[in-house]
Amino acid sequence: MRKERTQTLLKTRRTALLSAATLAICLSGGALAADPPLRVLATVGMIADVAETVAGDCAEVTTLIAPGVDPHYYSATPSDVRALSQAELILYVDFALEEQLAEVLRALSGRTRTLGVLEAALAADRLLDDPEAPGATDPHAWMDVSRWAEIVPVITAAMSEQRPDCAPAMEARAAAYRAQLDALHDWVGEAIASIPEGNRILVTAHDAFYYFSDAYGIQASEAIQGISTAAEASIGDILEVAEFVIENNVPAVFVETTVSPRTIRALVTEVRARGHRLEIGGELFSDAMGDTGTPEGTYIGMVRANTITITDALGGTRPPWPAVLGDWAAVWSLAD
Amino acid sequence: MLAALFDSIPAMIVLTGVLVGAAAALPGVFLVLRGNAMLTDAISHSIVFGVIMVWLLTRELSGPVQLIGAGLTGVLTVALTEALTRTGLVKTDAAIGLVFSMLFATGILLIGIFARQVHLHADTILLGEIGFVWMRTTPVLGVAVPVSMVMLGVVLVLNLVFVVLFWKELKLATFDPALAAALGLAPAALHYTLLTLTSVTAVAAFDAVGPVLFIAFVIVPPATALLMTRRLALIVPLAAALSTIACVSGYFLAVHWNVAIGGMMATMTGVLFVMVLSMRALKRQLQHRRPVPGNPAPWP
Amino acid sequence: MPMLVDLLGSQIVRTVMLGAALVGAVSGMVGVFAVLRRQSLLSDTISHAALPGVCLGFLLAGERDLTTIMLVALLTAMAAALSVLAIGRLTPLKTDAQLGIVLSVYFAVGVVLLSHIQAQGGGARAGITTFLFGQAAALSAQDLWVLGGVFAVATLFFVVLWKEIKLATFDPIAAAALGLPVRALELGLTVLLALTIVAGIQLVGVVLMVAVLIAPAVAARQWIGNLGAMTILAMGIGGLVGAGGALLSATGRGLATGPIVVLLASAVVLVSILAAPRRGVVWQALSAQLQRWRISGDRVLLAMDRLAAAHHDPDYPSEKGMLDTMLGRPLPGVMRRLEGQGLVRPVVHDPESSPHWVLTPAGRRRAEALRRTGHGPD
Repeated sequence: MRKERTQTLLKTRRTALLSAATLAICLSGGALAADPPLRVLATVGMIADVAETVAGDCAEVTTLIAPGVDPHYYSATPSDVRALSQAELILYVDFALEEQLAEVLRALSGRTRTLGVLEAALAADRLLDDPEAPGATDPHAWMDVSRWAEIVPVITAAMSEQRPDCAPAMEARAAAYRAQLDALHDWVGEAIASIPEGNRILVTAHDAFYYFSDAYGIQASEAIQGISTAAEASIGDILEVAEFVIENNVPAVFVETTVSPRTIRALVTEVRARGHRLEIGGELFSDAMGDTGTPEGTYIGMVRANTITITDALGGTRPPWPAVLGDWAAVWSLAD
Repeated sequence: MLAALFDSIPAMIVLTGVLVGAAAALPGVFLVLRGNAMLTDAISHSIVFGVIMVWLLTRELSGPVQLIGAGLTGVLTVALTEALTRTGLVKTDAAIGLVFSMLFATGILLIGIFARQVHLHADTILLGEIGFVWMRTTPVLGVAVPVSMVMLGVVLVLNLVFVVLFWKELKLATFDPALAAALGLAPAALHYTLLTLTSVTAVAAFDAVGPVLFIAFVIVPPATALLMTRRLALIVPLAAALSTIACVSGYFLAVHWNVAIGGMMATMTGVLFVMVLSMRALKRQLQHRRPVPGNPAPWP
Repeated sequence: MPMLVDLLGSQIVRTVMLGAALVGAVSGMVGVFAVLRRQSLLSDTISHAALPGVCLGFLLAGERDLTTIMLVALLTAMAAALSVLAIGRLTPLKTDAQLGIVLSVYFAVGVVLLSHIQAQGGGARAGITTFLFGQAAALSAQDLWVLGGVFAVATLFFVVLWKEIKLATFDPIAAAALGLPVRALELGLTVLLALTIVAGIQLVGVVLMVAVLIAPAVAARQWIGNLGAMTILAMGIGGLVGAGGALLSATGRGLATGPIVVLLASAVVLVSILAAPRRGVVWQALSAQLQRWRISGDRVLLAMDRLAAAHHDPDYPSEKGMLDTMLGRPLPGVMRRLEGQGLVRPVVHDPESSPHWVLTPAGRRRAEALRRTGHGPD
């Protein structure tokens, strides 16, 4: 069990994450801002982290769906209701992810500015379709850092619109952050490329990794559950993935923090019973980041942890951590 | 002034709960008195089947079509249960359990198959979310009123009209069905109408509290009121008052502990029941009377 | 669609089939008594009341410690059963109101705890919602041991206390007069009911558990009247339905095991109600038809007997039109049935072309017997 209780209302400021140069601008920007901080509500941590990093003191960012909670399975508490009613800007990924909230967000768009970041940031041809439901978008775009970096300017613009005084400071921070994300993207690509070619297959509990696969050249097999975790995983689902694992001689499969590990364990039992070797390669952050106050509670740290887990389990080697991200690593006192 | 009320989110949430309570108490009193309360359990679970069927046919998840669908599902549930009982091979309680689980299982399987397009989770159907009722509004006389409240208001009026118009008949059919039948009052028709109204109310309350918590509003406040008075005319307003207390206190406790609002409101109906029950028991103790043994009335 | 035989070779299919069969068999066994004691809806109440227990277990045990969760769920399930009992003793409310109150309020507490767990975060909810609807596919070998243990406890309970349970179920007053601890036996049965439900909900979920409990018992009741045989048959039906449902749900993607088991069980109930010998709807309809035929045949025999007596001719050929007039409209096929039974014989009566019949000696004897005993037409 976790030591600290994570509240739904997360108020964390992480100005320290930024490089010294941006810090200076940030301080001057903060001094100029006479308005109270913009109340931004992000549905998931992956967006909240981007918004917080860009906003600095200009906005107070709240995350609706707590770390470790599957957004497909979200239900509201009174503090969420308050947060939704008081927000000045609501950021969400795509209704394909926040299924439960779709109707609510649509209704709220009349009284509050709401922004679906995927639709705003990425052209239709850069979005992947849900293979099981033609026409529906696969929302898990944060798995590809280069695509997720596109939401940075969109969020910056939306916040600047409501706090014009903050615009220059936020733009500077956004530029610095994008440089970090670009370096991260290259690093992930390098790490995955180090995995022996036959091993470059990702088997997970639900279909959250198609963007990862698309961006970094690792095959993402059809997972036990589809893009959405709405329907119960059935025996047939597990059997089909087991066939795939055996056929392709996959060395390791992965559990996800937001999905019950029991289905993956059942898969491992099944494959081993048929006389094949299969390990659980570790735990991936798929639909939610790690706990606040840990490196995995940031977008960069989440991607880093996933990449390391996958690379180690499938027999790759970790490339050196990029220099641009040295400051980030220093904040969390991570060695490499 | 009115607009200000409809702007206050807590007021909206509590008011929706109060409407659920009042609308549910009207048929609830008679169901509890007649010993049919668990048909509510059956109906509210079968509704899942009705909702997905109506969606498959019309692609609408709310609105009047869903209300009609709910009414039909309620009638279907009751009719199937009675058909099963009338064979003389299955007792009423087992028939209720069999019919609603069959319909519920069919509903869940259909949702499993069409889940992606419906954007409807089985657990949302089961739990509802009263915290969000204020977001979907529709203009009524120039004021933005939550859709759920409009639906519940209509259903409340419907129930009220039915109960007032057929007060004597309902009373007679409840306390002396044989006499009611002899007088040509068609107790069966009344029974079906009552249960149809219950299912319509269930679907109107569906967004807000979900079918299982709806059972609490139908059964618990009327049962509590029954412990407080024996006058039928008093039981209905008393039940509505108890629901209101449960909604208000439930809302504030839910905010205090940051937990589900609908769940807390339903929990409070139970707390009120236990309080009334304890006071009753205490009073009897003080009167040095032994508590009257319960009436283990068998199923009708 | 993979072949069923291929599926049987799979570890996971075998595990889930065995697990579902165990749950089905225990449910069948325990369900017989729930149905006979009119506790079908008590089962539903207990099952819904397991939800707060599951949540509390999560909060107490922290991680997904199934044993703790099941123990706490068992406690709240028992508390619910006792609450029903207490409301029954303290108030004049009817049984179904007692059940409805306990079911909805316990479930409401469960919903509150569920939202509390979710607000804490930490991935717990992903595992906990599976209890609402069941997650049969994720059954592990350890779970089988737990289910096997429940099965063993239930079987032992019934084998050791069979006579006492039987008497206490059918005639509690006589049982009490004989000095049997009826209360303790009832408590034991209720604990067993709660144990079965708690063991079963991880496969089929809290809502559908009631069907798994009562469907095999209701089906078995249609075929057999003897309590022992009924219990064994219900066990068998439950086991087969469980295993069969698990197998069926493995044939395609996205087929949840719980609902399929329930639909299969409902189908078995339907077939039993329709087709069971003596009690079944079809059987009853058939025997009613046979009865009508018999009465109609008897009336024909008596009419022919009367005509023969009136004409002082035992071999008097009765004409079809005359019989029709005497009897109103006899059922079609009656004469053919009587011919088949050798009670009447068709004859040609020149010059008329309409059909005529005469009584055979056997037909005369039967008509005579009917006349004597008075079992004739009104």
